[in-house]
Amino acid sequence: MTQDVSPRFEPPDGWVPADQRWFGLDRRTIAPTLTVFAVALAMSVVLPLIDDTIPYRDVVRAGDVIELRGDVTFVPDAGWGITSGVRAGHGPASGGYPDRATVVNEDTTFTVRTATFHGDADALLNQIEETADALNRGRGIHVVGEHTTIVTDQGKQGATARITGPRRNGIIAAFVFDGRGVEAQATEGSEVGQEPAAAVLRMIRSISSGEQGER
Amino acid sequence: MTYAVTASVADLDRARAVALDLSGWGRDFRFYQPRNLAFWGYLLLVTTGAMSFGSQLAREYNAYAPAIVLAVTLFAIYGSFFWWFTVRVDRYAKLPAKLMVVAFLWGGFAATWSLAVNGNSALLALYAKGFGQAWALDWGAALSAPFIEEPAKGIGLLLLIALAPRHVRTAFDGLILGAFIGLGFQIIEDVAYAMTSAGSQFGSNQVGASLATIVLRMVSGVGAHICYSAIFCAGLVYLLGRPAEPRRIVRGLLLMVTAMVLHGAWDSLPALAGLTPLATLGVLVGLIVAALVVVSWVYRMTVKRERDFLRDVMVPEEARRVITADELGAMTGGRKARKAHRKAGRGRRERKRARYVLNAAYDLAGVLAAARGADTDQVRFARAEVGRIRAGLPSPV
Repeated sequence: MTQDVSPRFEPPDGWVPADQRWFGLDRRTIAPTLTVFAVALAMSVVLPLIDDTIPYRDVVRAGDVIELRGDVTFVPDAGWGITSGVRAGHGPASGGYPDRATVVNEDTTFTVRTATFHGDADALLNQIEETADALNRGRGIHVVGEHTTIVTDQGKQGATARITGPRRNGIIAAFVFDGRGVEAQATEGSEVGQEPAAAVLRMIRSISSGEQGER
Repeated sequence: MTYAVTASVADLDRARAVALDLSGWGRDFRFYQPRNLAFWGYLLLVTTGAMSFGSQLAREYNAYAPAIVLAVTLFAIYGSFFWWFTVRVDRYAKLPAKLMVVAFLWGGFAATWSLAVNGNSALLALYAKGFGQAWALDWGAALSAPFIEEPAKGIGLLLLIALAPRHVRTAFDGLILGAFIGLGFQIIEDVAYAMTSAGSQFGSNQVGASLATIVLRMVSGVGAHICYSAIFCAGLVYLLGRPAEPRRIVRGLLLMVTAMVLHGAWDSLPALAGLTPLATLGVLVGLIVAALVVVSWVYRMTVKRERDFLRDVMVPEEARRVITADELGAMTGGRKARKAHRKAGRGRRERKRARYVLNAAYDLAGVLAAARGADTDQVRFARAEVGRIRAGLPSPV
């Protein structure tokens, strides 16, 4: 039962042989770590930098209609750039339109998003306000002033309010079409109190649901 | 005759020492290695990712607390099951539990929040700019996630090898550590998806909205990140070569590409299946089955070396008559071999005892590995335990 094999001494993890030291570091660990840093740099710095240098070139042409999930559409003003969202009739192969679209013009950003919501437009605006306040803790964009009424070209009544935040101000509008809530938000880097641009109001009023619109 | 038997056991003991040396089995792993650059690299990227995820969690908790609590609880239970299963799969030349935790944290925080989240967003935006929004919606995720997320997870294994070069020795080690990296990635990503869903209905019905996502992620997760990373990391070990695993470049690259193809196919599910629920379900099930089939195949391909190590460690115990040849065969075989061994017993009591003896023999193998094959008190006790259970004697403690 005796064994002539005794365990060979092994130094602990972290021990560095004298011929493998470089400024105290284990030189064998430098190449794999630098490889990891190179990949991390490519993913976290290089790719976002390339993305930042390339602008969106998808410009709205007259007659374009943006479609979102649940047959929600709006008509962006010609000349604005589309940074997310797709035109009606040109949706993805899966057939499912996205639930958000954003168009931009110089410093103004106009975003429409849609989701299931049970309640009226005022309740939706309250819900959006409550969620934004909870997320931003008063430090982000938030609603100021009373809700007022806005009516779309389709005749749908919604609720609207002014919004303000760090260096950005604008308008928010909410509509509910048969259990589908729609939020439209336009912000720009302007002073508080300035009236929303006519283009923004036109786009808000163009929001509709269930219509085919111009394809 | 006695001399010949003694010489034979001595030879077997020497073969055992070689197997233990080569496999790294039973060695302690120390994470704190300030002279190892990989230690600092790991710490930097995991800490950055954890802080990024933590700050988002803290911000969103204020708005979506019920959904977040639900998601974290359910995914913790779900993750525990996969943790238990993966530890159970690693039954031959086991890796240290500490190394598995290190792998899990890399996948959960560094691969996701330090690397993939930035790379994915940028690449998706570039696809939208280059090929249009509709195209990006269909194929963007399929052509970004495999190229960003698989390398982000896989390079974690590079750091683990640099941190534990004497532990990560075989493609099977890569498979197991890859599975833990994938598990970490999946669980944290799932929690993030649940948070997004909580806000998807303007913050109303957040529990209902996130629950649907949680269920979908749990079902689809069976054949997702855990499988992809396991396959990718096994391939990475073949590509690099290790002391106990000769370099096989083509096999390594094929496995890594296979993981990326499976991942890409999963992310193109909506485009492949369209909006028909039946087609979606069919493609979903097909992709899960495909991932499970491939990972099972890679498991069978890589586990052989680990079983050989276990055999080398336990053959001297058979020669010493601590275990029988049948038990050695069952220990170093697959699930079917163990089951057949148990079923061979007459009566329920004998079958149960056969299972206990096998478990005690696995314990003995672990103790032998930790003792580097030496005849220590723990080893003698573990041997005695095998004999005690076989004889049906009561436990001494």
